[in-house]
Amino acid sequence: MKKFDTTSLWQDAWRRLKRDKIAVISLCFVIFFTLLAIYGEIVYQYHDVLDITPNYQKTNLENAYISPNINYLMGTDGLGRDVMARLIQGVRIAYKVGIITSLIAIPIGVILGCIAAYYGGKIDDIIVWFYSTVASMPGLLFILAIAMIFKGQGLLGIYLGIGLTTWVGLCRLVRGEVLKHKELTYVHSAKVLGISSSKIMFKHILPNIFHIIIVTFTLRFPAAVGTEVIMSYLGIGVQNEPSWGLMIESARMRLWQGMWWEMTFVTIALFLLVLSFNLLGDSLRDALDPKLND
Amino acid sequence: MINYIFRRIIQMIPTVIGVILLTFILFNIVPNDLAAISLGKNVTPEMLERFDNNRGLNLPLFYGYKASTRSMNDQNFEKGQYDWRGIGVSYNNEDKYISIRSKNNFNPLLFKLDKSYEYEWTGIARGSGIIAGNNFNSNQWKKFKIISNNENSEFFSGNIDFKKIKIRKKIDNPYNSQLFFYFRQLSKADFGYSESFKQPVIKLLSDGIWPSLSLTIPIFFIGLLISIFLSLLCALFRNKFIDRFFVILSVALMSINYVVYIVAGQYLLGFKMNLFPVWGYESVTYLFLPVLIGVISGLGSNIRFYRTIMLDEMYKDYVRTAYSKGASKTRVLFRHILKNASIPIITNVVIAIPFLYTGSLLLENFFGIPGLGYLGINAILSADIDVVRALVLIGSLLFVFSNLLTDICYALVDPRVKLK
Repeated sequence: MKKFDTTSLWQDAWRRLKRDKIAVISLCFVIFFTLLAIYGEIVYQYHDVLDITPNYQKTNLENAYISPNINYLMGTDGLGRDVMARLIQGVRIAYKVGIITSLIAIPIGVILGCIAAYYGGKIDDIIVWFYSTVASMPGLLFILAIAMIFKGQGLLGIYLGIGLTTWVGLCRLVRGEVLKHKELTYVHSAKVLGISSSKIMFKHILPNIFHIIIVTFTLRFPAAVGTEVIMSYLGIGVQNEPSWGLMIESARMRLWQGMWWEMTFVTIALFLLVLSFNLLGDSLRDALDPKLND
Repeated sequence: MINYIFRRIIQMIPTVIGVILLTFILFNIVPNDLAAISLGKNVTPEMLERFDNNRGLNLPLFYGYKASTRSMNDQNFEKGQYDWRGIGVSYNNEDKYISIRSKNNFNPLLFKLDKSYEYEWTGIARGSGIIAGNNFNSNQWKKFKIISNNENSEFFSGNIDFKKIKIRKKIDNPYNSQLFFYFRQLSKADFGYSESFKQPVIKLLSDGIWPSLSLTIPIFFIGLLISIFLSLLCALFRNKFIDRFFVILSVALMSINYVVYIVAGQYLLGFKMNLFPVWGYESVTYLFLPVLIGVISGLGSNIRFYRTIMLDEMYKDYVRTAYSKGASKTRVLFRHILKNASIPIITNVVIAIPFLYTGSLLLENFFGIPGLGYLGINAILSADIDVVRALVLIGSLLFVFSNLLTDICYALVDPRVKLK
């Protein structure tokens, strides 16, 4: 018997992704930022467990506004704190927001989308009504309003604000895709075999539409980070930790007096993080979408 | 056509109800104490009571006969003594109850009750004496429920022990709930009263709309023209250098944070080059910089969006026909493709109406333009519930209506839509 060379969707996608230079570069950046975030978390946890104030939080007015040099590669801010250390903590917070809001939004979108499409009828009507209602809410203002309601509870307001408003797009996509899969033979056979609905939905259909979730995650991650920066900048988000939004806010006025380093490095880091996730997401979508397969 | 519009309006009603319910959930059900969020820390119980009264927040949520009052917090002495303190009042730490041994009047209320209502006191007590003006007598712990007649409801005396006690205001109409209050407010187009600006919300909204529009309309139309032009250019040179350049550029533009646009624009163009004024709203020149930033920041996603639309049209049969009959490339692009692409473009234009209304939150805030976005951010920072709720509600209602408008435009332009 002749053996055919078969490749799974994932292997196929990986092969296509590797050919795309931009995708490989952005993937490297994403990995780099992820490592920075993990490093930042370790530093944070270390100081938290030992209950000592980390260097990036210590005020040292003698060192205020030192321009970048060999000791402080990115200079120091107005309270004499190392900009680079704070920037890395900013990566940590950005990742925290990106991941936790995804953990709220993605399950809501996937579960509601699956249920709506699979059961159809009244359930579908109700879920479609629900998400079109949420979709009608005015974006940033709605997020800020939710954050306002949970004022004074730290990052919770940000998590809920972003998480509870950004699941609609995914829900629509999943619903559309499950509607297609529902009519395919493998689902019909699974039904004939008497497999329970929830098992069909989450064990048989879900793996087949998993690429949508991955692409959505990669593209909503930078969006969540950007929203967090805006919220912190406005003073509604993070209060006592070195979020990028807070760093931009504190560097804004000093910029006009010539202290360019904090602003420059933070905006570059923010730009690179968001850009590499966006580019990677686009490439992933091209690589995982079999319709574009030549 | 009339039939279609009518059907579409009927379909819109559930979403409108949904939007109203969602704002109700967000502002009435989720926060357990809206008055405390809104008024901050230094408040008297009277201020809280007035806040609740004005907004119907002391009423039951959906249905009921009992309204709350701030005159006395619910006391559960099994968990601690809380705020019943005074001469003749003692707390039994072992069995967790409060004793009143007083010939004189002990008044637990924080302020005088509104005499036009009846009040219901409930709780668990024992002993003999007077609770809220009514006689009480029992040796065992016993649940009580007393309707106080207004005049002497503040009167507590005798030898009584309390485990729990709370007070509720009685209301006659059970449907007089928060939800009903909200609907009644909406039907009168009354959006409440702003605590931080000390003005009715409706006045703030009508003052803010013009500055907002003066900013968003130029941003929108200039942005639209530029991005349609660039996307046509991309479509014309598909996969050539220009196309690739703009695709990459648009992703890069999309990846720059809005905050960074504002900061960089103010610094480079306003401060370094001194081309534009940076802050204020006095003449047209004050709008140049925010409009420029608004246009550039929206360019990325717009180019991508319109480019996809143009490319979708590029490969249709009529385009091939047009080419084969000898029409020039530009003629095909501008006469044929643009005309057909106008349907999704219209959609995008109409859908942007709510954005035009709520204004650009960040731009207005950082350029000091006194529009609705400026109002919104300040209301959120000072937890001005009524303003935020009105902005959210109107924004979402406008979205629903512009959706309707889009569909009607669609049906007017494309007769196939009606059949679906």
